[in-house]
Amino acid sequence: MAVEDDERIRTAVKMALEDEGWTVEEADNGEDALESFNRHPTDVVLIDIMLPGIDGFEVCRSIRRSSDVPIVMVTARADTHDVVAGLEAGADDYLTKPFAPKELSARIRALLRRARTTDPAIAHLKFGDLEIIPDEGMVLRDGSEVHLTKTEFRLLVELASSPGRVFSREVLLERVWGYGYFGDGRLVDVHIRRLRTKIEADPANPRHVVTVRGLGYKLQT
Amino acid sequence: MRLRRHSPRRRLGLRARLTLTYALGAALLSAFLAVTTFGLTRENLVKQHEDTAVQSAFSNAEYVVLRGRDPNTSLESLIGSLPTREGAQLVIENGDTWSSKNPVEFDRDALPQSLRDQVAAGNPASMRFVHDGDPYVAVGVPITASGVATAYFEAVSLAEAQRTLENLAITLIGASAITTMAGGLLGWWASRRALAPLLDVGTAAEAIAGGRLDTRLTVGDDPDLDVLAVPFNHMAQALEDRVDRDARFASEVSHELRSPLMTLAASVEVLENSREEMPDRAQTALDLLSADVDRFQQLVEDLLEISRFDAGAIKLHLEEVLVAEMVIQAVSVLGGGGVPVRYDDEVSTVVVRVDKRRFARVLANLLDNADKYAGGATSVNIELLGDVVQISIEDEGNGVAEGEREVIFDRFSRGSEGGNRASDSGVGLGLALVDEHMRLHNGRVWVEGRRDHHSGARFVVELPVMPLPSPEEVELDEQSAPETPDSAVPAEEEVSP
Repeated sequence: MAVEDDERIRTAVKMALEDEGWTVEEADNGEDALESFNRHPTDVVLIDIMLPGIDGFEVCRSIRRSSDVPIVMVTARADTHDVVAGLEAGADDYLTKPFAPKELSARIRALLRRARTTDPAIAHLKFGDLEIIPDEGMVLRDGSEVHLTKTEFRLLVELASSPGRVFSREVLLERVWGYGYFGDGRLVDVHIRRLRTKIEADPANPRHVVTVRGLGYKLQT
Repeated sequence: MRLRRHSPRRRLGLRARLTLTYALGAALLSAFLAVTTFGLTRENLVKQHEDTAVQSAFSNAEYVVLRGRDPNTSLESLIGSLPTREGAQLVIENGDTWSSKNPVEFDRDALPQSLRDQVAAGNPASMRFVHDGDPYVAVGVPITASGVATAYFEAVSLAEAQRTLENLAITLIGASAITTMAGGLLGWWASRRALAPLLDVGTAAEAIAGGRLDTRLTVGDDPDLDVLAVPFNHMAQALEDRVDRDARFASEVSHELRSPLMTLAASVEVLENSREEMPDRAQTALDLLSADVDRFQQLVEDLLEISRFDAGAIKLHLEEVLVAEMVIQAVSVLGGGGVPVRYDDEVSTVVVRVDKRRFARVLANLLDNADKYAGGATSVNIELLGDVVQISIEDEGNGVAEGEREVIFDRFSRGSEGGNRASDSGVGLGLALVDEHMRLHNGRVWVEGRRDHHSGARFVVELPVMPLPSPEEVELDEQSAPETPDSAVPAEEEVSP
């Protein structure tokens, strides 16, 4: 689903995405977007931040309350706080206008990829009060299920694939988002922050996902 | 507009002048006091000696008159019976004969002739003179009633008083010097106190220049200083408003320009997807459209970026990265895959603090520049030179003429090659952006000839090197990380220029 108030952009992007093989639902404001989202099964939501009425952040948060569907946010400027605010509102990735629809298509594919669970040794992982069951896409804390978005889940599984190993942001960007070396480190930082609020007893003093200053993140065993 | 003071000559600083004035004032005052003190003391001291000498001379003369009435008394016994005082010389004269109490040190000839003449003429007199290097004051009293003597002289040495005065002079000079210095110090201190508000203004102005536009001076502490603080704050407010307005404008322009570009980019892609079904002429037209949409997009990006520089609205997303790894990644991502990246072993551990994506743009623009004007870069070299690392990009083109080596970093300048626009040539903002980016990274960029003196240009970007943490520190960080609440994000921060 593409939420964009500029009709020309919406039409052009829709056509380009259709050429890439996607079916696109359109919405030109936040209210319609939420209504449409509830009626149609949706794989990915593409939201422009600047919308009339309910803005992109609010749409993002509303969708997040009920769904872990991947959300890609579109912004006119990359160096504003919009990016971090959007990611904190629940977006999985962002693109800066103007982007190539082929690039968007690649991003969507990366977001829809399932977490890698090729190694049978990590079929069931336990770290203190935290349990990860990659096959079922489930995470338990103190025995009760924690609800993670697909991206958060893949980030956690990636870290859990080698407990104790330090993952640089570059590596995480490449494995979780499919970005190269020059991806935006803020994607990782914001997602780590969100992940911590869900799986840590005290997110300010993380015990599972810890920061290694200047190097990256690791999952504490 | 620049306000200038009138004097064209270079003048001493305000503080130096204040200090000098204070010192000079103290020097004059203390010199005046010292001279007065010295003069008064000398007068008093000499007068005292003189008075004593006169008194003693008259009383002794009386005695001489009394004893002189006895004709059996000789001059020698007469003078021997006179009481002596420390430093006093006595001489009794009778016509051509004379007697001195201490004939070895002081005889009649030691007395000045004019004094003796006056006394001989029947007038008591006193006179200052120098004998044997010592100052004296002598009093002469004529004696008329006695048969033995005709005149009595008493000379008192002033050497002691002289020494006292010399000591006093030294003390006074010392005191004056100390007073002068104290005056200077007072001036220095007072001027510092007086100039302290100016320093605050300087610090505030520096802070504003450094990007902290909300810096203000405190108003109301001192009505005298508010004359400066109030207009200063008005200026700072106006500046801040202006920068805010510019930033907002840039943001709006950004949105307004990007939206149609988005439509163009997406539409061109749709057209390209069905390129094969188009007639040749339409394909050519599509290629032209596609290339110029790209160019236009780049132009808009560059213009927006440079307007952000001008508005001071750039926020760097600084990270500590290995320079060699970053350059290799950038060169390969930017399609310069065939360009060799050369560096020594010592460079492989060098860490720099950069905004990775902006720095990739720097390299992209330089590689792009080599593509456009010199048929592509031939090598990228990384060298460590003390506390800076230099990344140089060499090509085999015609090089850059000496006179143009600075100009090409100006906006919309294209050098003499500018005439030969290739079909997809840039708009001359690329190198200007490189320059701005490097400055924001505390580095610099320049162009020179190739080191091997072959034809071609060598663009060099220089970055300061981050000191490497020692292995122990890394270990420590790793252990302390879980306990540190602010460790939510790895070492990284946002800065504005």
